[in-house]
Amino acid sequence: MDFFPLWLSLKVSVVATILTLATGLPIAWVLARKRFTGRDVAEALVVLPLVLPPTVLGYYLLVLIGRQGVIGRVLDAAGMELAFTWRAAVLAAWVGSSALFIKAAQAGFEAVDRRLEQAARTLGRSGWSVFWSITLPLASRAVMAGTVLAFCRALGDFGITLMVAGSIPGLTQTTPLAIYDLVQSNRMAEANALSLIAVATVALLLMGLGRLARLRF
Amino acid sequence: MRRVVFLALALVLAAGSVARAQPAAPAVTVYAAADLDMAFREIKPLFEKATGARVTLVMGSTGNLAKQIEHGAPADVFFAANESFVDDLQTAGAVIPQTRALYAQGRIVLATPTKSTVAVRELADLLKPEVRRVAIANPAHAPYGRAAQEALESVGVWERLKPKLVYGENIRHTLQFVETGAVEAGIVALSVAGVPDVRYAPIDPKLHKPLSQVAAVVKRSARPELGVAFIQFLNGPEGRPIMKRYGFLLPGEF
Repeated sequence: MDFFPLWLSLKVSVVATILTLATGLPIAWVLARKRFTGRDVAEALVVLPLVLPPTVLGYYLLVLIGRQGVIGRVLDAAGMELAFTWRAAVLAAWVGSSALFIKAAQAGFEAVDRRLEQAARTLGRSGWSVFWSITLPLASRAVMAGTVLAFCRALGDFGITLMVAGSIPGLTQTTPLAIYDLVQSNRMAEANALSLIAVATVALLLMGLGRLARLRF
Repeated sequence: MRRVVFLALALVLAAGSVARAQPAAPAVTVYAAADLDMAFREIKPLFEKATGARVTLVMGSTGNLAKQIEHGAPADVFFAANESFVDDLQTAGAVIPQTRALYAQGRIVLATPTKSTVAVRELADLLKPEVRRVAIANPAHAPYGRAAQEALESVGVWERLKPKLVYGENIRHTLQFVETGAVEAGIVALSVAGVPDVRYAPIDPKLHKPLSQVAAVVKRSARPELGVAFIQFLNGPEGRPIMKRYGFLLPGEF
């Protein structure tokens, strides 16, 4: 049994989740706290990836990052290849899962009592410090929930990854793609085994993470 | 929070090191239509033994694979289920025209689940009320689906059958509908129909346009000679018997 898809999936999902945290936290905070023109548009854009069928979304991404794509040509000139590499799978997972994280974190930030933040400001804390010591800890349950959702969505992504990373065994074939391939080839025993191992691994991982999170907060 | 981030980073490093321990990038990457799945899995080890090259098989719907190749997928050689996709890639300058080669003609069959008690022997039987659902591959983009539609039109049952039709994404997906007994009958490729839970009856190839399957080497392949070698191997004395066994008509036989 080939365990490569499992490792690849874990690597891709963890990197994608870190990326989602890094980009999603500021976006969620801005959407929760700021009022600006185009905010409605921004909010619609955030959830757009959930509305489009994944393979269609993947195709648009491929058009952007492929050989002839706007982004693809820039990367090509810089000697970098994104499409059909494991990094494309990260991109796919990030695009597919960001909305889940952002909406959860945004709701968490909106629920934080602003008077607590203001009190901290009057006591001399900077905006940056208030975010890390007041807002984020108070919204931590929502942020954690969003992170778990995003991580699981990243692990399970099929359509976007299929289009931008391909399903190349040993290079870009993640667990969902490998399982699909096995089912298509009528190798049901292997497909079932891989599904079971994937589910068990993630269940253990999430249980571990949940325990850690409870200790900290 | 910090501890979670630390754990995440540790995981990435662990995953990265294990992933690197895997064998280096394969030597020849073959993109092939879903109907070739079973035949190519047999041919792969033979070709590897004969040439010493490592083969990576990427199977999928012809349309999908063609799109990926057009956008720079790392394929060395492409085996399409229909020549029109290779034509398009040739126009787009993505494949080497001189390497273009016909390697088979596909055949369609009428498949039913072995568990089913409904007798379906010819296309007209599909109209029986006991046959509630019929699966074909999506004629909009799957070559075998198009052939199925043409055959149904030729015998004059297409319009009446339409409300019963279920579309599979590709030919293997269509077969799955039959295998699981989700439909009472389906039209699939002969090359994939030889599975335990399915019995099938041939459909006269005169009822549809020939399914000419064409291969070509991809222009940006780093080792085009290996792609050419794979095509030649398939069309040679070792590949042909396997392809024949999976029900393909071979060049020179039609």
